[in-house]
Amino acid sequence: MKRSWTHWARAAAAGAVSLLMVAACSGRSTTDDASGGVVTLKINFWGDFGLQELKTRYEAANPNIRIQLNSGEYNAQHEDLQKKLVAGSGAADIAAVDEGFMVQFRGQSDKFVNLLDKGAGSYESKYLPWKWKQSLSADGKTQIGLGTDVGGLAMCYRTDLFKAAGLPTERDQVSALWPTWDKFIEVGQQYTAKTDKKFIDAGTNLFNPILGQQPVGFYNDQEQLQMEQGPKVAFDYTVKAVQAGLSANLVSFQADWDKGFTSGAFAVLACPAWMLGHIKDTAPGTEGKWDIAAVPGGGGNWGGSFLTIPKQGKHVDEAYELLEWLVQPEQQIEIFKKVGNLPSQPALYADPAIAEFKNPFFNDAPVGQIFPKMAQGLTPQYLGRKNGPTRVAVENVIRRVENKTLKPDAAWAEAVKEAEKAGKS
Amino acid sequence: MSTTRAAPAQSRRRAAPGRGGSGPDERRLNWRNRLYRFDMRYMPYLMIAPFFLLFIVFGLFPLVFNGVVSLRNYRLDDPTLPYWAGFENFTRLAGDEDFWNALYNTFGIFLLSSVPQLLLALVVASLLNRKLRAQTWWRVGILLPYVTPIVASSMVFSVFFSRDFGMANWVLGLFGYGSPEAPIDWRADKPHSWTAIATMVNWKWIGYNALLYLAAMQSIPRDVYEAAAIDGAGPWKQLWKITVPMIQPVIVFTVVLSTIGGLQLFTEPMLFDPNAQAATGGPNGEWQTIAQLIYKVGWKDLNLGYAAAMSWALFLIILVVAGVNTLLTNRLSGGRK
Repeated sequence: MKRSWTHWARAAAAGAVSLLMVAACSGRSTTDDASGGVVTLKINFWGDFGLQELKTRYEAANPNIRIQLNSGEYNAQHEDLQKKLVAGSGAADIAAVDEGFMVQFRGQSDKFVNLLDKGAGSYESKYLPWKWKQSLSADGKTQIGLGTDVGGLAMCYRTDLFKAAGLPTERDQVSALWPTWDKFIEVGQQYTAKTDKKFIDAGTNLFNPILGQQPVGFYNDQEQLQMEQGPKVAFDYTVKAVQAGLSANLVSFQADWDKGFTSGAFAVLACPAWMLGHIKDTAPGTEGKWDIAAVPGGGGNWGGSFLTIPKQGKHVDEAYELLEWLVQPEQQIEIFKKVGNLPSQPALYADPAIAEFKNPFFNDAPVGQIFPKMAQGLTPQYLGRKNGPTRVAVENVIRRVENKTLKPDAAWAEAVKEAEKAGKS
Repeated sequence: MSTTRAAPAQSRRRAAPGRGGSGPDERRLNWRNRLYRFDMRYMPYLMIAPFFLLFIVFGLFPLVFNGVVSLRNYRLDDPTLPYWAGFENFTRLAGDEDFWNALYNTFGIFLLSSVPQLLLALVVASLLNRKLRAQTWWRVGILLPYVTPIVASSMVFSVFFSRDFGMANWVLGLFGYGSPEAPIDWRADKPHSWTAIATMVNWKWIGYNALLYLAAMQSIPRDVYEAAAIDGAGPWKQLWKITVPMIQPVIVFTVVLSTIGGLQLFTEPMLFDPNAQAATGGPNGEWQTIAQLIYKVGWKDLNLGYAAAMSWALFLIILVVAGVNTLLTNRLSGGRK
C-alpha cells in the first residue's frame, strides 16, 4: 500500500516540477508595440473588401500606423471573433461583421467600443435608416459598428427561358409583370404550365425577402415572438408557391444549386448585388442570358457588412480614426470601383461611378440604379435577439414541406411550434 | 517498461536500512551515484511528464472546467442571468426532445457504421493475410481512405449523395432503384441520411481497422491453421474459431475506439448538410448527432452552459457504452471473462 502511495507522490512531484518549467517559459513575451511610436492595427474580414490600396494610402498619410489586413473564410472569421470575445483577448482591432451575425454580436454590445462615445452619432443621417439600426443595441444607446456595404435585392432572371415560356424578356416589362408577390406566383404558374420546369430556386429564398418587407419581423421591439403577422404573410406565400410546384427545392450555395444556374433548373432568383459575381463565376457560359428586374413588393436587402471595434483592443482610438476614414465617401466609392460593394450611404448613389454603372454579363443591366433603389425601398425592421435561430427553424419547416415529409396544411402549426422552441433555446 | 518497474523495488530495498539511521554507506555516495539514482528513479517520470502535462492542460482541465460551466448560466447573449444555475442545465436535458433525437441519431449511425465496418475490416484483413500478388500495394491501398483529409472526403461524398445529380443515385439507377423522375432524396429522412453518413465513416475506417487486425493476425502461428485445415475446417470456420479468438485484444481495442469515434461523430454529418452553417443536421434534425447539437447549442444558440452539460452527458454515455461493448466483445470473441 505504502509503496504505491510513494509512487503516486513521486509522479505528482515530477509533474509539478515540469509544470513550473513550462509556466516559466510561457511568460509574457509580447512587447508593447507602441514603444517605438508605431501602432499596428489588425483588420479581420472575409473575401475581398477592397482595402489593399487604401491601406497603402493610409499608411503613407499616417507614418505611425501600420495596417495588417487579415482576410479569412466568412464563417470562420465570425466564429473566431465570438471565441476571442469570450476569451477576453486576441480579437482584431477592427473586426468586420456581416448582417447575418450582427444580431448575435449586437447582443454583446458591452464587448465592443460604443461608437456613439467616439462621436459616430453624426453619421446617423448619412446612412440608410435600417442599416444604422441593424448594429444599434436594443436600447438604442450603443452603436457597435459602422456600415460598409449593402446587398440590396433584385430578381435575376433568364431571358432565354422566359422567351421559351412566352413571357416578356425586357427588364421593365418583367418588373411590371410582378408588382406584388401574388402576381409573381401567377407568373410562375404560367411558366411551369408552359415549360414543365421549376420557376424559383428555393422556397426559403422567397420567404426571406417577403419577410424583410414586412413592418414587423419575427420579433417586435419588446422581444415578443409575432408569428401571426409578418412571418405568416411570408410563410403563406412561400407554401403557396411550393404547393404550386414552382420551387426547385434547392439549398443556396450547395452543389445542386450551383449546377442549377447552368442547367436552367430555375428561371428566376432573388439576388443581391454581390450575387452577380457568384452567378458569373459559377455559370460563365450563361453570359448574356441573364437580366435583372425589380423585386415584387418594391424593396429588399440580403447581406452587407459592418466594421466594429472590439473593446479588448489596445489601440481603440487609432482604430476608430481608421474606421472613420474608411467610411468616408471617397473611400467607399473607391471600394465600389474596386470590388463592386455597394455603399450603405444613400448620398453616394448619385455619384456617377455608381449611378452609371452597367453590368455586361447581365445584358448591360443598370445595376447602379436597380440595387440602390431596392435598398432604399426597405423599411427598417427590428431584429430580435433570437432572430437567427428562429429563422433557421422556420426555414427548416419550409424545407420539410419541399421534400414532402410535412403536409402543407400542417406546416404553419409546425412552423409556430418550431419558432417558439427556437425562441426559448 | 522493465526498468521503471524495477526502480521502486530497488529503492525500497535501499531505503529500508537507510531509514534506521544514516549509515556509513549513505554518506559515501558521490555525485555519480546520486546522478545514477536520480536517473533510475526520477528520469522515467520526467520523460513521460510532457504527455501528462499536455493531458492536464488540454484534457483534464477542459473536462473539469466544462463540469463547472455546466453548472452555470453561461449565455453569451444574456449576461444578466444569475451566475450559478445548479443542476438546471441537466434537468432541462432530460426533457429536451432535441437531445434525445440527437442521441437516437448518434446511436443509429453508430450501429450502421461500427458493425459493418469492423466485420468488413476482419474479412479484408484475413484476405490480405494470404499470399497475394502485389501485397504491399493492396495493404497501402486500403489505408488510403484513412490518410485522406476527412473534410475533403466528406465534401466529395456530400456531392456523391446529392439528390439531383448524385452518383449514388446514378449507380442505384443502374440496378433499377430510383429514377431520374423520382430520385432518392438522401437528406429527406432518417434511414437514407444515416446510410449515407455511415457509408462515409465505413469508407474511411475499414482500412485502418483492417491493418490493425492484419498486424495481429500475423502473430498467429501458421501451424494452428495447418492443424485446423487437416481437421477439415474451411476458411470461414478458421476465421471465426481461430483468428477471432486469437486477436481478441485487438478487437476489443478497435471496438472501444470506434465506439468513442462513432459517438463523437461531427464532421461527416456537419458537411452532409447543405445548410451546414445552421448545424441542425437536416431540416427536422434527421441526422443531427450529439456532437453537432452541442456545437449548435453552444455557438449558434450561444448557450455555453447548456452545451457544457450536454458534453458531460455525452462523456458519461461514452464511458458506459464503451464499457458495455468491451464486456460484450470479450464474451462474443471467446475471451475468458
